[in-house]
Amino acid sequence: MAEVVMRVLRRALLAASVGAAVAAVLRLRGSGGVPPRQGSWRQLSGPDFR
Amino acid sequence: MASLPDKEAGANSADRIFADVTTVAVIGAGVVGRSVARQLAASGAVDRLILGSRRPERLRGFVRQLIGVDVEVIAPGPLPSVDVTVLAQPTGGHAELADEALGNGSHVVSVSDSIKDVEALLDLDAAAIKADRSIIIGASFSPGLSCLLARHAGLRFERVEEVHVARMGTGGPACQRQLHRARTKEAIDWRDGNWRKHPGGTGRELVWFPDPLGARDCYRAALPDALLLSRNFPDVDRITAKVAATRRDRFTAWLPMLRSPHNDGGPGAIRIEVRGMRDGIQATDVIGAIDYPSAVAGAIAAIATEWSLLGALPSGSWNLGMLDDPVPWLLELEERGIKAAVYEGISTS
Repeated sequence: MAEVVMRVLRRALLAASVGAAVAAVLRLRGSGGVPPRQGSWRQLSGPDFR
Repeated sequence: MASLPDKEAGANSADRIFADVTTVAVIGAGVVGRSVARQLAASGAVDRLILGSRRPERLRGFVRQLIGVDVEVIAPGPLPSVDVTVLAQPTGGHAELADEALGNGSHVVSVSDSIKDVEALLDLDAAAIKADRSIIIGASFSPGLSCLLARHAGLRFERVEEVHVARMGTGGPACQRQLHRARTKEAIDWRDGNWRKHPGGTGRELVWFPDPLGARDCYRAALPDALLLSRNFPDVDRITAKVAATRRDRFTAWLPMLRSPHNDGGPGAIRIEVRGMRDGIQATDVIGAIDYPSAVAGAIAAIATEWSLLGALPSGSWNLGMLDDPVPWLLELEERGIKAAVYEGISTS
């Protein structure tokens, strides 16, 4: 009985570790996306500064 | 602070240029130092360049590229007596070298983005005024171009209430190491007339940089922009400075750098948001630029050096954000291919 409990615990621990590792990789590599925006950038030139 | 560079001053000082040998020392021969040296050699305003490097033997190939100017390479030691000393070495100890350069009768241009260096350089103001020499602090991308753009945008307001600076990208390896350290150090924000300290890496904000770099998450770090801008905008409610970081940057910020820095950390961008009152209503202006930080730092330091040689800059210890009129600098940068951009699309209700 004790052996079965230990085996289940070990497997659960292994599954949780693998899940955490995969989540960490996705978290570090993912960009998360960006929201939409309105407007744009316009380059300034000489007359804009005067 | 009167600071309009008088182009006519060039005519007045031309005799001096031809009569004397104008000498500039560039201390630090990394990516920024080399960029400054290249631009000064091409400008024709300098007769003799002294390059300071920890490993002079590595500069032989580079020195051969500098045409039309006498070049001498020196190892670390006492600073040479020159007209202008450009401090382009890694952060730390800039104020001590600036003090030594002032003692030699030299103008100083520093590209350091360390808060400690900037504070110590600002403290040299009285000594610089007494010596009738200028110490130009943070003559680089950020601080530097960021302060210049903030100053320019601020002039369009009757009253400036908030200035928010964000940047991404770095110059050479020394700049990347400095940013890596800054990510975990205490950040300083100006808030209602007082300095507020926050842990580095906090205060996430999504910032839209000029295209094509687009949106990046930015966080607090030990950046000197707020310190410098507070001198020019003493009455504003808030001044903040943040830097873009990926999740990996934040995750590894507390560790030593896990891999060697890139030769150049560009392209980079800066975005300055200025809020205040204009024509009696609340308004927000967003101005920015996109370029290689090392190239911008090289151009700004070179312009500061050339105009110091012409005697066109005021004495004392100051930064580009403290200029009365930033337009001549922006026009000169535009001539050198570094252009600012304004974001259009924000309501001004």
